[in-house]
Amino acid sequence: MAFKKLATGQNRNPGRLICWGGKPRLLFFALLICVAFSGSLSEAWDDDEKRFYKKRQQMVDSQIKKRGVSDLKVLRAMAAVKRHLFVPEHLQQQAYVDGPLPIGYGQTISQPYIVAYMTEILRVQPQHKVLEVGTGSGYQAAVLAKMSDRVHSIEIIPELAKSAARRLEVLGYTGVKTRQGDGYHGWPEAAPFDAIMVTAAAEFIPPPLLGQLKEGGRMIIPVGSPFYVQHLMLVEKRGGEITTRSLMPVRFVPFRRAQ
Amino acid sequence: MNRDSAPTLRLHLALILLSASLIAFQLEQMQLLALVQWHHFAYLVISVALLGFGASGTIISLYRSLLLRHQEWLLPVLMFACATLMVLAIPLSREMTSRFDICLLFVEPGQTGLLLLSQCIYLLVFFLGALPLGLVFVSFSSRINTLYCANLVGSGIGGLGAVSLMYFFLPQQLPALTALLPWAAGFLVIPVRRRKALLAGGVLVLAVITAVAWRPPQIEVSQYKDISRTLDLPGAETVSNNPSPYGMVQLVTAPALRHAPGLSLTYGGEVPGVKAAVFINGNWFGAVSGGDPSFLRATAADLPYAMAQRDRVLVLQAGTGRDILHALENGAERIVAVDPHQEAVEVLADFYGAGDADPIHHPQVHYSSLAPRNWLAFDQERYDLITLPTVGSFGGASGLFALQEQYLLTREAFIELWQHLSPNGVLQVSTWLDSPSRNPLRLGATIGESLEKMGVDPHSHVAAVRGWNMITFILKRSPLTSGDLRKVRSFCERLQFDPTLLPGLQEKERVRYHTPADPGFFADINTLFLPASRRELYTSYDFNLRPVSDNRPFFSQFLRWKSIPHLVRLFGERSLPFFELGYLIVLVSFVQMSLAAVLLILLPLVRLGLPGRTGLKSWSFPFFSGLGLGYMFFEIMLIHELVLFFGHPIFAVAAGISSLLVFSGIGSLVSGRLLGHRSGHGLAAALVSLLLLLYFFILPPLLHQAITLPTIWKTLFFLLLIGPPAMAMGMPFPLGLERLARHSKSQAAWAWGINGCVSVVSTGLATIVAVELGFSAVMLIACAAYGLAALSTLKS
Repeated sequence: MAFKKLATGQNRNPGRLICWGGKPRLLFFALLICVAFSGSLSEAWDDDEKRFYKKRQQMVDSQIKKRGVSDLKVLRAMAAVKRHLFVPEHLQQQAYVDGPLPIGYGQTISQPYIVAYMTEILRVQPQHKVLEVGTGSGYQAAVLAKMSDRVHSIEIIPELAKSAARRLEVLGYTGVKTRQGDGYHGWPEAAPFDAIMVTAAAEFIPPPLLGQLKEGGRMIIPVGSPFYVQHLMLVEKRGGEITTRSLMPVRFVPFRRAQ
Repeated sequence: MNRDSAPTLRLHLALILLSASLIAFQLEQMQLLALVQWHHFAYLVISVALLGFGASGTIISLYRSLLLRHQEWLLPVLMFACATLMVLAIPLSREMTSRFDICLLFVEPGQTGLLLLSQCIYLLVFFLGALPLGLVFVSFSSRINTLYCANLVGSGIGGLGAVSLMYFFLPQQLPALTALLPWAAGFLVIPVRRRKALLAGGVLVLAVITAVAWRPPQIEVSQYKDISRTLDLPGAETVSNNPSPYGMVQLVTAPALRHAPGLSLTYGGEVPGVKAAVFINGNWFGAVSGGDPSFLRATAADLPYAMAQRDRVLVLQAGTGRDILHALENGAERIVAVDPHQEAVEVLADFYGAGDADPIHHPQVHYSSLAPRNWLAFDQERYDLITLPTVGSFGGASGLFALQEQYLLTREAFIELWQHLSPNGVLQVSTWLDSPSRNPLRLGATIGESLEKMGVDPHSHVAAVRGWNMITFILKRSPLTSGDLRKVRSFCERLQFDPTLLPGLQEKERVRYHTPADPGFFADINTLFLPASRRELYTSYDFNLRPVSDNRPFFSQFLRWKSIPHLVRLFGERSLPFFELGYLIVLVSFVQMSLAAVLLILLPLVRLGLPGRTGLKSWSFPFFSGLGLGYMFFEIMLIHELVLFFGHPIFAVAAGISSLLVFSGIGSLVSGRLLGHRSGHGLAAALVSLLLLLYFFILPPLLHQAITLPTIWKTLFFLLLIGPPAMAMGMPFPLGLERLARHSKSQAAWAWGINGCVSVVSTGLATIVAVELGFSAVMLIACAAYGLAALSTLKS
């Protein structure tokens, strides 16, 4: 997958330039061009960043707040995480549109509103330990990391797990622990969890995951096809009983109407 | 080749080979597209082929004399070009097809263009193949009878040959074999003049075909298909690829894969990993269980066994045998498993070792490879339990299958199933829960209406239990007893399912563990069992919930046009297409093909002068468009009837297209002799219209009566039945064309173009009419179209 390299506008290995060519005059001009070029690159980069920042604010206002997500921590997290760095390069300009986007391997990065809504439903507190099953691009984990420093994320597809781990690391999401593995088993060493988010929904909820959910804990599962979440399943564990509540991802309006 | 001389035997042979290749290529493309994407492209392939034929007719009309002047060397060159493009179509369209994906059609801009571009290459293949055919017909019009006969015999052979080859070769290997036919045809018609250059060209084409046959192109299956997502799992690999006319059967091992639909949340044990999974055309067919199957006892499907011992069990669409295993686990004595996918079962038999417990070949299991409805038609046994496969798909992706004919979920099917239950027997069917609720409600409506039709009160015979993502219905032949109710409640309590339908049910019992998203869900499901208020729900609900019938068997099609604005407001433009992706794809390709037909067939004819200026007879437009529409509507309707009759779409398509072509060809051969007078074309159209009206009443019941016959008798019966209307349908077109050609060649060209254009449009339109109004409406429109054609000739 061709994700854009995470350029920072700085040369990561300036030492190499000194040896280049061996001719001081040529080297001087080369350096001058490089500085000028990196300057214009950096400006372009800043422009991009400003544009994406603006789009992100618009996304929060028009897609998330408007639909009823009101938790300030969630809104701040959605405004802070640079979604365009979690999508394939050719789709960066669409990163803030109101919909999911393909990330390869038959997977998608969820619609921004769904990410925000699921995060709100989980009611994550800073001290909470959170497990995410299905890291994907790492975007949801990054949002969760803004809410808690104890986020664990598992991805079964090795290529996705590797690229997401690298991306989260480079972007400084050190509070997220990632692992490539089968989400069926959960993360027994870190269990129990206050909140579990199963973004790679299966036809059944793996018994080990239910076992790793704390008493009083919440689990959220988006149910749908890669491009459309039809409902969110909230699973709660209380007094040894497991109950579920299906939530519509849209403001509920009866489908049966007066003629 | 001299135009004045009689066509040689070699030319006839060449026509047979070329015609066979074009039909075979059509069927192969349907198979290939069903593998890499989904089945929606079957009708698109027919449209593209007709478009190629129509465009070639237009070119012949425009450049008739030029083409005929050079036809001697043009014939082999066109045939070689057709062969080359046939073999290179997959590699050439690879760039486009690898980037195109049905699932991205409404997500990424440009996907519609990719769909169109990829079809252009296939359009060229049919165009290059149809051009020499048309040239030969025009050139030897005095001997059209034998040439037309060769064309139709070739088409018939092509249909049967392609289906046979599908048993032995992978879809990407077939075009190289098929391309040998037009290549050989080209070789047969190489003239004496320019022999060396043409021979060299022929050898070059053969080298290309050999190279592609030696190393067939790789095909890329959509990343959103079940098989792709399974193969992305670590350690997953394809163990075997088995081609068959039913589709490509693939066996995949994936250590991380687990399969336990309907599992209770109380189950704390291990869900064993599956040993392998079987896919047909990349779609999930079933899993081969590994390890201890006792977890099945903690699924909703265990309810019938929790109510009573089930000795005789009928498992319909048995797949890889999960329900068989479940029945064996519960001590069933005799299990009848029915699944039409013989190839998949054979692959499984090879996979299971001698010491393994293969549920399908278990001594207590009787297996039949018939389609379930065909089995039900002649089976006389009564069962304690009948199980159906789970309806819909987890996550609601069933919208992709909106145009799939599901004969096991029609009202007629439920009535037949009911007749096969023993006095205390139960029918069990589960469906995935979806939001907004569609599948459970339509299933409820089907159950309610079917039982009422038999005079059975559904309230005392139906129970349903619901988990977090699935609802399971139980239909008991005898009324549910208090003992039954106690057992259902105890089952629900033990596994934390909620009873949804049960006599004497309290409202609070329904949401003890699982709360649905739609608070009106229970009220709606109650309404479906009340005949008086059911209709009000049908009309007021945003989706179409009416039960489906054999006439309109699209169970997964729920979209109502008038609800679209409301749904768009609610879910947004980007989400709506995923409710009914399959249907919308047909609409998109219908619009594309209609525009292309006007652009490529009709527009170029303007060079001959507008229809008015050429003095085109007033009857011509309704006559030739009526024939085009009527023929294609009847063909699509026939294929639909044959899916149920033969039990599989590919046989239905092969039998439908081949038989119609051959009989129509015979009809056109004898038309001149039978109806060669001035108003013969109108009489022929009137005859077809009357025959279709008769067949509207007799075809479905007669086919239904013969469904139980052995295949060979069934085929013979079908050929006898279809012969008369198909022969008659071959008559009006050549008679009408001949009548016009007497006046002016450009009038005939316009008539040809109008017919071709309407045929292309009608292929997609027939599908849309079938979905909206049912196949009987398709048949009636076909009948009316021929009637209109006949009436239009009255003035003339």
